[in-house]
Amino acid sequence: MAASDDDALQVLSGDDQDDGAYSSDFEEEEADSGEEEADLDEEEGDFDDEDEEDEDSDEEDGAADGNVEANDSANHEEIREALLDYIGNGNAGADGDEESDDREAADESDSSEDEAPPRNTVGEIPLEFYKDEEHIGYDRAGRKLKKQARKDQLDSFLDRSDDPKDWHKVYDEYNDEYVELTKEEMGMISRIRQGKLPHAEVDAYQPYVDWFDWDGKGHPLSNAPEPKRRFIPSKWEAKKVVKLVRALRKGWIKLDKPKEKPRFYLMWGDDLKVNEKTANGLAYIPAPKAKLPGHEESYNPPVEYIPSEEEINSYQLMYEEDRPKFIPKKFDSLRHVPAYAEFIKEIFERCLDLYLCPRTRKKRLNIDPDSLLPKLPKPKDLQPYPTTCFLEYKGHTGAVSSISADPTGEWLLSGSRDGTVRVWEVQTGRCKKVWDMGGSVFCVAWNPNPALPVVAIAVSNDVVLLDPEVGDEEVQLNIAKLLAVQPSTSEPTENTPLIGWKRHDKLRGIQLSHQQNVVRVSWHNKGDYFVSVSPDGNNRAVLVHQLSKQQSQNPFRKHHGRVADVLFHPARPFMFVATKMHVRVYNLAKQELSKKLITGLQEISSMALHSGGDNLILGSKGAKLCWFDMDLSVKPYKTIKNHKEDINAVAFHKSYPLFASCSDDLSTHVFHGMVYSDLMQNPLIVPLKILHGHQKGERSPSGSSMLQSYPATSPGVSDIKFHPTQPWLFTAGADSVIKLFCN
Amino acid sequence: MVKQVKNAVKAAKRKLHTGRRGNPGNAAKYITRNKALNRLQIKLPEFRRLCILKGIHPREPKKKFEGQNKTYYHVKDINFLLHEPLLEKSREIRAYEKKITKARAKYNTDLAHRLQNNRPSFTLDHLVKERYPSFIDAVRDLEDPLTMIHLFATLPADTTHSVPFERVHSCRRLSLEWQAYVTRTHSLRKIFVSVKGIYYQVEVSGQKITYLTPHVLNQVLPEDVDFRVMLTFAEFYETLLGFVNFKLYHSLGLNYPPVLDPRLEQAAAELYALMKDLAGGTTSAPLLEDASAKEDDAPVSVDEQQSLMEAENKEKRIAESQARLASLQDRLKQIEKEKEKPQDVPVQVKTEAMDVDDVIEDEDLETRTCRRLFQNLTFFLGREVPRESLLFVIRSFGGAVSWDGDGAPFPENDEVITHQIVDRPTQGHKFLSRHYVQPQWVYDCANNRILLPTEPYLLGRIPPPHLSPFVDNEAEGHVPEYADTIKRLRLAANQQLAPLPGSESGIDEGELLVAAAARRREDLEAEKERELAAMEKSYAEDLRRELAGKSFSGEEEALADVPESEVLPPPKEDDPKDMAKMMLSRNKRNLYQAMEMSNTKKKEEVKLIKERKRKADEKERKKKTRTM
Repeated sequence: MAASDDDALQVLSGDDQDDGAYSSDFEEEEADSGEEEADLDEEEGDFDDEDEEDEDSDEEDGAADGNVEANDSANHEEIREALLDYIGNGNAGADGDEESDDREAADESDSSEDEAPPRNTVGEIPLEFYKDEEHIGYDRAGRKLKKQARKDQLDSFLDRSDDPKDWHKVYDEYNDEYVELTKEEMGMISRIRQGKLPHAEVDAYQPYVDWFDWDGKGHPLSNAPEPKRRFIPSKWEAKKVVKLVRALRKGWIKLDKPKEKPRFYLMWGDDLKVNEKTANGLAYIPAPKAKLPGHEESYNPPVEYIPSEEEINSYQLMYEEDRPKFIPKKFDSLRHVPAYAEFIKEIFERCLDLYLCPRTRKKRLNIDPDSLLPKLPKPKDLQPYPTTCFLEYKGHTGAVSSISADPTGEWLLSGSRDGTVRVWEVQTGRCKKVWDMGGSVFCVAWNPNPALPVVAIAVSNDVVLLDPEVGDEEVQLNIAKLLAVQPSTSEPTENTPLIGWKRHDKLRGIQLSHQQNVVRVSWHNKGDYFVSVSPDGNNRAVLVHQLSKQQSQNPFRKHHGRVADVLFHPARPFMFVATKMHVRVYNLAKQELSKKLITGLQEISSMALHSGGDNLILGSKGAKLCWFDMDLSVKPYKTIKNHKEDINAVAFHKSYPLFASCSDDLSTHVFHGMVYSDLMQNPLIVPLKILHGHQKGERSPSGSSMLQSYPATSPGVSDIKFHPTQPWLFTAGADSVIKLFCN
Repeated sequence: MVKQVKNAVKAAKRKLHTGRRGNPGNAAKYITRNKALNRLQIKLPEFRRLCILKGIHPREPKKKFEGQNKTYYHVKDINFLLHEPLLEKSREIRAYEKKITKARAKYNTDLAHRLQNNRPSFTLDHLVKERYPSFIDAVRDLEDPLTMIHLFATLPADTTHSVPFERVHSCRRLSLEWQAYVTRTHSLRKIFVSVKGIYYQVEVSGQKITYLTPHVLNQVLPEDVDFRVMLTFAEFYETLLGFVNFKLYHSLGLNYPPVLDPRLEQAAAELYALMKDLAGGTTSAPLLEDASAKEDDAPVSVDEQQSLMEAENKEKRIAESQARLASLQDRLKQIEKEKEKPQDVPVQVKTEAMDVDDVIEDEDLETRTCRRLFQNLTFFLGREVPRESLLFVIRSFGGAVSWDGDGAPFPENDEVITHQIVDRPTQGHKFLSRHYVQPQWVYDCANNRILLPTEPYLLGRIPPPHLSPFVDNEAEGHVPEYADTIKRLRLAANQQLAPLPGSESGIDEGELLVAAAARRREDLEAEKERELAAMEKSYAEDLRRELAGKSFSGEEEALADVPESEVLPPPKEDDPKDMAKMMLSRNKRNLYQAMEMSNTKKKEEVKLIKERKRKADEKERKKKTRTM
């Protein structure tokens, strides 16, 4: 092995000198390993010896006996083979006998050269080849050996009978002669035939003599000669070495440990460039930094940061998530501060946040909240508008539910839950007239036509038309004519009238009896038509009445929801019907629905139209105010959540750009609402003033009356109306007071 | 495998481009976690590990197309993971582990052993470079790593939670190296001792880094924490901080793994050893091995001093030679110890201070003030105070430190010591020449950059409140009393320093500071009285103004004090804000309300704090009157 190694290495070093070091290294290692192996062998040997020493000597003896027996059996086998040979020969027939004898003679001739060798030299060929020849072969000198003359049967018989030894003569075909068997040979044959060993002197069962001295020896040493392979270089080892050398050369095997590279090195250059993008091209979102600690986290915080006992106890009443996570505590000295038990957990949670929380860039507005507020023109620049309470009209004993101003602006009509309707002189606050209606008044409305000073009053189930007696005599006469109930002219017609126009018994006026409560009455601008609303009236909820003809009609077959308010368009034949959530605009001339306004309010409570007729405001129970610009959209142009409670009424000023809303929160909001004639310009809405002054009235119990839908009065400001010519505002409150706010 | 990966990438790309023309939709941009696992063909723990190492986090798609309760990753992130060499490496390692278990199962011990020893290893260097392409990026994100490394440096190596000791060891080493750098460059800015631990704010390359270190006490490992996650983070942070440290040391012209003095290391004073190494051997004071030997040891010849000075001049020396030089010096000392006669130690301490005093080029004002705060002060730390933290802080602010324990540079009875930091109820023997102060004094001085009067911090007293330096008191709305006091002291110190701009030597300045502090202490009482008088005066004026119907200073407080009957009901003016609020759209209104709510909440808190303060003051006053 060593020799082969040397060879390979020589080749290697011859090829390139650079690898010399490697090769020598390798050699060394190989040598080392060889030694190791040897050592190992030795060790193993020792180990075996020890084992054997451990074993009993008896066993050893037994093993020896076994060996002897094995030897005996080997002997037997040899003998049997020899015998079989003999027997085979014997069976081969008489012809073979001579030959075998010859061979035996040849074998035996090893010792005696003098004995005559076989004469024929043809060798082991079929003797048939010479059958037709006169000779049988050649002798050593190359002379032909003549075949003996064939004796005929008779002669041979005679010879046989003459010669007494003829029966132990055997014909040798090869040499063409008769061979006489000796006595020993005869004996041999006979013994073989008997199944005995051919030689009589051989004792097959003689006692075994163990010539090997077993004492102290593990096993018999082999004296076999060293095989050849021990002396020639191994092919496989050479291959292996070549492989190793190649691996070494290519660097697959590294003998010395790789040099410890320093773990850290200069990774970054000097550029201080900031990269906003990560390697995968996405924007880098840095994790939010932890909040910096405040005074309260100090080990020795100022006294004011430490909660008292009661405060700490009160934390128990808080919701789990509202409870402060960290309770400040004071330590007198740094040495008293213990390890923070949650430290690892908090860091762990931070770790979880870092890799489990989705990160997004969120814009955090760190601005003054006031900068969000819109810039509005100053209210001062938008004067005049009502600012201060100028007059109070006192006299009602119950909550004032509705008010209405005379178109000239001299008189004010008010209806109250105490069952009275009063007419006030606006300038002085004098009560000119009181009507006792005998039921709670829901709504009052003064005819907007200055030539016909008639008032419509909604009292429980009825609408009553009365004469306020404010005009001159001519007017009075006109009104008296109008309010005289005509003898039913329609009687001849087949239909019974929708509503009976009856004379009011107590007061000189007309009574229109409805089936349900009437909560709203509103006049057309011209003063001939008025409409009454009884929300529970189902398909008769809205009825249009004509004063001049004293006729009523039901323009709608059906309503989509409970009707809250109805208004006439000031100039065109349109009617606005507000149900709970929508406002429908009907074209009365064409008798079709022209528009449906989608308010998005919870429940509409009141409605007011701008004098132009294209802008509408709605007040709702959800304390929201909607402005619709109907040229713009069917959705609100602006929704303002100004009040804290339900809005009860809204109102537009006839000439000034003002509108207002009043609510249960006892306030009235006055807005500047400028509608421009330029269609491209959106209306300007500016809140101007919040008017206070009303007291909280008591909420009348709803449903206590026998009528199921008896409308409840609001506890706050129930109605507002603008003065028709001046920028003044009348407000009626549940505290039974009416106020006039002037600029 | 590679082919599979390629196909997956192709499929992903195709998906990314088959969306609407122009911009791909959410479904193409994002992928749920389970789908990502399928694509990567790995298990969840492996995925999490990779995500931690690569810094990949879930994202929030605009539309969660597979449901609200799913986690979404960006497709690009996942494809990025697909190309990660670590992915292949981890597979390789897994296969290798199988080989080891197989060898073990077959009782092939030597094979198992060999395999065990030749495990394939991996590094995270490329990830650091990839995640932080420039140094400044890395510095910006250093807060979490520093906190984590400092935590691991104090953790017990624990087999039940599989916290390997190597990690703990290397984390400790890294944290100390970091601290040594900060000390050397005097870049420590703020310190805050909280209940949770100690916060340090450091300014490195213009970035303010605030990190938290636990109190040096035994940490109990909680059971409900997954340490595998923590360890994965620690693994990455360790690599990151190693490279950052290398860069920082490189920028100072030092060799990176600094060579530690083995004696100091044994004495558990690694931080000091590191500092010593960084300071370039000039500050090497002899160790307190045995007192007598030290006394002999100290007076190293003038020649050696000279040589040291010369060495100092050569600034660009590499650290290795320094270490060699240091050891050489030690040997020199040993030799000379036998020859020379003793002098006294302080000479050396003085030189140490002098060395530091050199004006350093391109140093900003802040660093200079920090460097000079404790100049010429010498501290001695008691056994009971947190040594490493104080050593770190005092050295960062330019002071000289020794301590009670092995490896201390000078002993307790050294004359030069000006302050002894103690935290015990009583002190047996007291030197008259020095102040015995509590550790909080050091922290408060460092935060405020002035030497505070030591009286309130003296031994056995309850120190004044320790305030957080991270709070802007004015913005918060409440200024603690002590913050006011400190502010006044600072102003006074600045004014007193102002007339002497020419004072170049740090010694003068330092002395001035001390003197100023002393004067301030005297003035304190008088100042308080003056303040009281001023307050009274202003109160009277306010009252007068209020009667006149004008606005007055400190409106709220004054209002609270004046009885309600005297206050006229305010004329109900319309607040223009109320008007404007009406006109807000719903979204803006909600935003406005939320902002208002948070503001009122803050105000409430401040109010509560003020109320507490008032009550506490009242109590105090009562107590005082009772005692009188």
